Amino acid sequence: METPRAPNDRRIVARGLTRRFGDKVALHPTDLDLGPGRIIGLLGPNGSGKSTLLRSLLGLVRPDAGSASIDGVRLRGDGTAVRRRVTYAPGEIALHGERTGRDQLDWLLRGRGPDARRKATAIAADFALPLAKRVRTYSHGMKRQLLLAAALAPDVGVRILDEATEGLDPTRRGEVLQRLAEDAARGTTILLSSHHLSEVDRACDALVFLADGRKIAEDSAAAVAERARRLVRMTFGDEAETAQVAARLATFPGAQLRVDGTRVSVRLDAGDPHAFLASVLSSPGLPRPRAIALGELSLAELYREVYGVEGC
Amino acid sequence: MRRELRAVLVRALAYGLVLELMLVAAVLYWPQFRDNVPAILRLVPGKVMGGMVAAMASKGAQGYVIFQHFFKGCHLLGGAAAAMFAASAVAGEVHRGTLEIWLALPFSRLRLLSERYVAGLLAVVVPIVATSASIPWLLSFVKEDASVGPWFTASLHESTFLAALYSATFLVSALGSHPTAIAFGALLVMVLEFALYLVMEATHASFYRLADIEDFTRIFDRGALDPGVILPLAAFSLLCFAGAQLAFARRVP
Repeated sequence: METPRAPNDRRIVARGLTRRFGDKVALHPTDLDLGPGRIIGLLGPNGSGKSTLLRSLLGLVRPDAGSASIDGVRLRGDGTAVRRRVTYAPGEIALHGERTGRDQLDWLLRGRGPDARRKATAIAADFALPLAKRVRTYSHGMKRQLLLAAALAPDVGVRILDEATEGLDPTRRGEVLQRLAEDAARGTTILLSSHHLSEVDRACDALVFLADGRKIAEDSAAAVAERARRLVRMTFGDEAETAQVAARLATFPGAQLRVDGTRVSVRLDAGDPHAFLASVLSSPGLPRPRAIALGELSLAELYREVYGVEGC
Repeated sequence: MRRELRAVLVRALAYGLVLELMLVAAVLYWPQFRDNVPAILRLVPGKVMGGMVAAMASKGAQGYVIFQHFFKGCHLLGGAAAAMFAASAVAGEVHRGTLEIWLALPFSRLRLLSERYVAGLLAVVVPIVATSASIPWLLSFVKEDASVGPWFTASLHESTFLAALYSATFLVSALGSHPTAIAFGALLVMVLEFALYLVMEATHASFYRLADIEDFTRIFDRGALDPGVILPLAAFSLLCFAGAQLAFARRVP
């Protein structure tokens, strides 16, 4: 199937993109149509195929099947034409330790022009990176920021950032996400992968979920937040109490139940979770929960409770 | 890119300087060697070594410098440089995990690999050509006449020979991920081949037969390169580079 294209469309499009490593299918046939001018979160646990998908889009890993185009340019051969129109920050941090930060930036920005170098230097200065020092003296977070400075500087329509906020302290993470939001507001499409929902969900306009090399969902961030908001989790004293509550709640219309030890998770199809909780707590004869959580969802919980995927 | 070029230049200059110093010492020793050839011939063990010294002595200063510069200096130092420069070309990036950021540059893989191949190759051969060009000037200090032309031609022969060693190691680097092991492996092969060269019954099986004193003497006699040796060596290098390109195209981060 051909990927639809238009020049400079700032879209990331994939049709049936597939990659195998030997017998293992790292990426099952995947369709995407992302952008323009949005931040899209690519979420999935470790080994879910996020990096393989990103590398396949860039031509770093040659797809076994399917097609892709970025910013209106079809992925062909080793992907050189695509990589000219996109910047990429890899998830795995490995740099040339013997180089100074400035030399490493120059190296990462080969083929991008002097403007990109000037801008990258300015971004690195904002991040307070010591560019005169050798990269081997940098901390993990500083190396991450150096890669980000190189990926954020060139004037391109699409940026692909793998685990861009991993290893950053909360303050710096907020600054990076703010910078990405400003970039997206100027029309740049940003595909941002992470295995921590809470690190990226507020910055993203849409979320794509991967598990075991398959795209299992694609939602707006608002829809995901709404689903998460309708999840109520209660923890009881023992399994007998849990079973008693579960039996009663099973009769509630529009409530999907999940019991895990002494914990009961309820996903509401609609309605106000506070009202539901109030009615549960006021039900005569039901034991009182030891703990209640409302709308707090880790990525693993989101997968399990909302998308029904185990083992994330 | 400037940083990479600087690194290549530094390596080439360092190894070229050592090569030149070895050459200076060898040339300045020529008068003593010339006066002691009969004694040296009696001391040299083995037929191959004896033959080498005899061939060297029969050609005077030219034969002596061919042996000292090409057969000793360039084969040993140049061979080691070829092994080290080529071994880290791709395997070095794989080993330290920087293959991904290298491949992510907005250039084709053919260009990335070609740049690295040419940079390393120039670092190996330019010092050989440059130091060889200084031989006539150095020989004038020991009152020997020589012109640059034949030495330049001979340096091209040596360069082509070392390019083949460099290219073979480069191919292994494109396939592998342990640059140190690849460099030591290449050096080991060179040492074994050199040992083979010194064994009368097996000397014909050594690749050092493609660039020994007889080959260089023939170049001086003819005043031209021997296409029967040069062309197969160049073809071998090209084949190795093509193989490296095929291997590199399949590499994944």
